[in-house]
Amino acid sequence: MRIAPDYSKEFEKLAEAYEKSGGDTSNLLDKRVASIIISGDKVIGLNNIDGVEIVAGKQELGVWAKIRISKDKKIPMPIHLCTGFLGKEGEQRVNFEFIVEDGATVNFISHCSFPWSTKLTHKMTAIVRIGKNATMTYADAHFHSEEGGVTVISDTHAIVEENGKYKNSFELTRTRVGKLVVKMDVDLKEGAIADLESKVRGRADDDISIKESLGLNGKEAHGMAKSTIVATEKTHARIVNEAFGNAPYSKGHIECTEITKGADVDVATLPVLKVTNDLSELTHEASIGRINSRQLDTMMAKGMTEEEATEFIIKGMLS
Amino acid sequence: MLELRNISLELGDKPILKKLNMKFEPKKRYTILGNNGTGKSTIANVIMGVEGYKPQSGKIYLDGQDITNLSISQRAQLGITIAFQENVRFEGIKIYDYLTLGGKIKKSLDDVKKALKIVGLGEDYVKRYVDSSLSGGERKRVELASVYMIDPKYVILDEPDSGIDMMSIDTINTFINQLREKDATVITITHREEIAIDCDYSYLICSGIVLKEGKPAEISEYYKSMCDACEHPNEIQLIRDEVI
Repeated sequence: MRIAPDYSKEFEKLAEAYEKSGGDTSNLLDKRVASIIISGDKVIGLNNIDGVEIVAGKQELGVWAKIRISKDKKIPMPIHLCTGFLGKEGEQRVNFEFIVEDGATVNFISHCSFPWSTKLTHKMTAIVRIGKNATMTYADAHFHSEEGGVTVISDTHAIVEENGKYKNSFELTRTRVGKLVVKMDVDLKEGAIADLESKVRGRADDDISIKESLGLNGKEAHGMAKSTIVATEKTHARIVNEAFGNAPYSKGHIECTEITKGADVDVATLPVLKVTNDLSELTHEASIGRINSRQLDTMMAKGMTEEEATEFIIKGMLS
Repeated sequence: MLELRNISLELGDKPILKKLNMKFEPKKRYTILGNNGTGKSTIANVIMGVEGYKPQSGKIYLDGQDITNLSISQRAQLGITIAFQENVRFEGIKIYDYLTLGGKIKKSLDDVKKALKIVGLGEDYVKRYVDSSLSGGERKRVELASVYMIDPKYVILDEPDSGIDMMSIDTINTFINQLREKDATVITITHREEIAIDCDYSYLICSGIVLKEGKPAEISEYYKSMCDACEHPNEIQLIRDEVI
């Protein structure tokens, strides 16, 4: 990929942010890797490869992008999405549309980096269309500023056609959250599979709101939605996991684990299961509370302090 | 030397340990034998300092130092450790990291592989996770390997054979011998006399007291002849207490 000369300095700064979020900048410059680089309201880099068509443009306060994977194409290397905001204050709106045509296979790695923003609202909407027998995985890692002034509002609607597979993971564990609102719903057709996973660590007065919803609308559709939240200090977290069994032999499982550490945390989880077809099966697991005492005892009996043991266990849960 | 002097413990209103006295000398192998429900695991928790198991009376000494009020971590830092009977799982933690405590103890990859080999696990386990992908027996072996890695002075093995198949008693004995080569004192809690027989000294626990102590063969024989058939060990001991 070539970065336009006008944007070379901006890219350097964005690359620094990208590396902070765990990304490898060399992937963004590799011609064999499809990618898009968004800075504020500009697309400063874009690379298409065989089987991948990315078109993008400016919109009010942000960028829109449409990403299409051609029928039956197996994209060998993950497509990299780099979204950043280099300013301290502002708003960024990003609208994605993903179309994975029948029989195609693709993996996405997305990094959203706002390490210097003290007052930013990032709004992202995504429409995901996964065709018959197609597979898409999407790993999204966020890196925010330590001031806690970032607000992220993410809204994804996915449709997975017959025997399609969709795996989505969201991770915000290494920095302050600020305010996070994640909404994701998946419409699963016959034989389709979805696996949604969120891992978030809240500090100070971070505010976390996650709602994941599985619509098991086709015969033998399977879905899992799993959230792991570590809430420390004054973190406020509200997690809703839903599954709707609307078709015969569909199966859904929702799971929420919230670890609390600190007298002022305020966390809640609400599992919602609804069946409209008596041949559907739905299950849920939920737990809120401090780390299992036997886990702590086990690590402390090897010489770790309680603080070290807690950090060790949490790090594992969020890895 | 690790010593329990006149330890009494009640949980709720129920007396569990009653003026218990035990001594564990350095570099020796001990067995605490007894039926289920007699207080064996409680002794382990008391020695380790697990929350909720602080004795109402009595003291615990390590090399003359009173450790009764020390936390689990502090006791572990003095060289006492335990492999609990029920081993919890840890999501997202690789066996390598578990055995090196996330880098807290400085051991090489070869050290990790050696510890795994001693407990009968192959090198490929290094990259596996200490989570539900392990069977109960595998998890137990990983726990034993982790105990070996920290070079303890005093090791409590609470029912090390639980969750491991009968064939693996040899593995447990090999493991204990490896610990002794590191000059560790090994205290094995069990209700199986075939594990109890191979040690230097045995304690037989019944109803929260030391019913008998001494040579392993004699204690095991007594246990086998008297306790195996006893369905109400606690009640019998209560009657003994009343009579005496």
